[in-house]
Amino acid sequence: MKKFSLIVLGILIVAQLAVPFSMIKSRENILRNGELYRFKTRPIDPADPFQGRYVRLVFESDYIECSEEEESELTYKQPVYAIMGTDSDGYARFADWNLEQPESGAYLKTHYRRKYTVRHPESKKRIFKGIRIHVPFNRFYMAESKAPRAEVLARDATRNTNCWANVRILNGNAVIEDVFAEGQSLRDLAAQEGK
Amino acid sequence: MRKVAAKHIQWLEKELPVLEVEGVISPETTKGIKSYYAEKTASGMHWAIVAFAVLGSLLIGSGIILLFAHNWDELDRPTRAVLSFCPVVIGAILSFTALAKNGGVALRESAGIFHSLAVGASIALIGQTYHLPSDTPAFLLTWTLLVSPLMFLLRSTGAYLFYLALACGWSGVAQETYGQAAGFWLLMVPAMVRLMQLLRKNLHAPETLLSLWGILFTLCISTGIVFERTVPGLWIVAYSALLSGTGLLGIHLYGGRDGWSNPAKTFGIVGVVMLAYIFTWSDAWGGIGWNHVRSGWYHREWGVWLDGGITFVFVTGWVAAAVKAVRRNSLETVTLAVFPLITILCFLLGSSGKDVETVNALIFNGFMLFLGVMYIVLGCRNTKLRQLNGGMAVLSLLLVTRFFDEEFGFLARGIVFIVLGASFLTVNLVMARRKKQLEVVS
Repeated sequence: MKKFSLIVLGILIVAQLAVPFSMIKSRENILRNGELYRFKTRPIDPADPFQGRYVRLVFESDYIECSEEEESELTYKQPVYAIMGTDSDGYARFADWNLEQPESGAYLKTHYRRKYTVRHPESKKRIFKGIRIHVPFNRFYMAESKAPRAEVLARDATRNTNCWANVRILNGNAVIEDVFAEGQSLRDLAAQEGK
Repeated sequence: MRKVAAKHIQWLEKELPVLEVEGVISPETTKGIKSYYAEKTASGMHWAIVAFAVLGSLLIGSGIILLFAHNWDELDRPTRAVLSFCPVVIGAILSFTALAKNGGVALRESAGIFHSLAVGASIALIGQTYHLPSDTPAFLLTWTLLVSPLMFLLRSTGAYLFYLALACGWSGVAQETYGQAAGFWLLMVPAMVRLMQLLRKNLHAPETLLSLWGILFTLCISTGIVFERTVPGLWIVAYSALLSGTGLLGIHLYGGRDGWSNPAKTFGIVGVVMLAYIFTWSDAWGGIGWNHVRSGWYHREWGVWLDGGITFVFVTGWVAAAVKAVRRNSLETVTLAVFPLITILCFLLGSSGKDVETVNALIFNGFMLFLGVMYIVLGCRNTKLRQLNGGMAVLSLLLVTRFFDEEFGFLARGIVFIVLGASFLTVNLVMARRKKQLEVVS
């Protein structure tokens, strides 16, 4: 009985190690082979009890332009594949969406959130523009002393220049590589300011 | 009472059947030895040692999580990836030692809790290293599944309670994120299997009682969370059957024991009182039944079947427990058994579409009044202060609430409060004297 229990424990330990291993392997694969996109962002600094302090990234481009007719096909939280593209400044934008998994090109596996509307500057009425989607990378973890400082720096940077996140995308999955403000990595910038 | 280490008794229990088969001792001797060790000896285990071991592993495990949460970004990515395996490896070594050396309760409990925490720490650290987005339901589910075998392998109550807490937490976040958490019932299967093992082994052992308390709390919290509520008000039938069935099961399993020693009975009775109190409000009976079926993101269409199935299981459990536990001469068991019948009747009345909200509320006001009076009478008859005060508390709760509810004048309220307080003090004083007299006589 004891021998059986030890064997089962051994199998359990292998499974417990296999889960983190497969998580690491898939993320390393995306970081090494994924296509690089720059997302314009605005960071906020909260904390997670298990994973520590992070900078929450709010993305300017979290929508896809489409007609109201196309939007009516979607239901709340329905899975969609967002097709990646870039704007004239080289920043990432979501060009289109598809309910079926695309066979080629860069795309992101995500889900539909709600309608994307903007207020007309004169009539103040809301005009339908497209759909808002969930951006599945919104946390950039930092050392607990640096995160609040990084948020201030990034906030200033978004006012003056640009703040963006380098994100690698492969087979629908994404991993954040780094976040930049004033052309420098947020980590280096926060470390310099701290000295 | 002699103190004998639990592991020595375990060894003896394994040896006795062997000696009996070999003809060294007779079956009567085996029975005699077993009853001697069950009745005349106590576990040599020091509860303070176990408590400190559990607390220690909990603190160290939480400390490791906090250390990692600090985020040592001076370390490069590969180093951090390797480091994320460390908590699981340490937990595995501890569990392996506890199992291989047939460790005592303190070691098994520490290993169970530390190992459970370590698995979560490892996954969280990878999330931190690779900036993974917040996906709490997936994180909790992976954690729950990966630690589930520990309660069986280490026979650790800490690991069992940890598992229940994770499953309960998962049900909450999954219901919020996915709009449904039906998988909770599958997560309860291993927990039920473990509980059955414990109940079969020793009904009165502290680990059995603690596990029973744990699963009852989990079921009570999570049933409300994972109910799809596609048919509004079906929860009324499900909860009343669950709590009444639990109370009756406690009476069947543990007989006349009360309080901590009879978790199911205590939980069932307190639950029934709380539920009956909720039902005294007419709001609980509004818009219920099949005429108000709804569906959408939070109330799935198939919820009719899921909620119906859960209610059916609870009602079946209640019927089975009632058949086993009800004694005609016990007013308490009959009341417990009848409670779901009244709720089912009121639910059907409410479902009929007629305006019966006030009628249902009145029925349960009457039921609460009956409960209060019943426990006061039982307390006086059995000279049990706990029952007497419980009855007074139920009665007071009802009267005080209805008082605020109906907006009576200050004078009337003042008089009723004073009368209630005075009766509390008088009855307790009389009861205490009676108890003393009985003790002197005996």
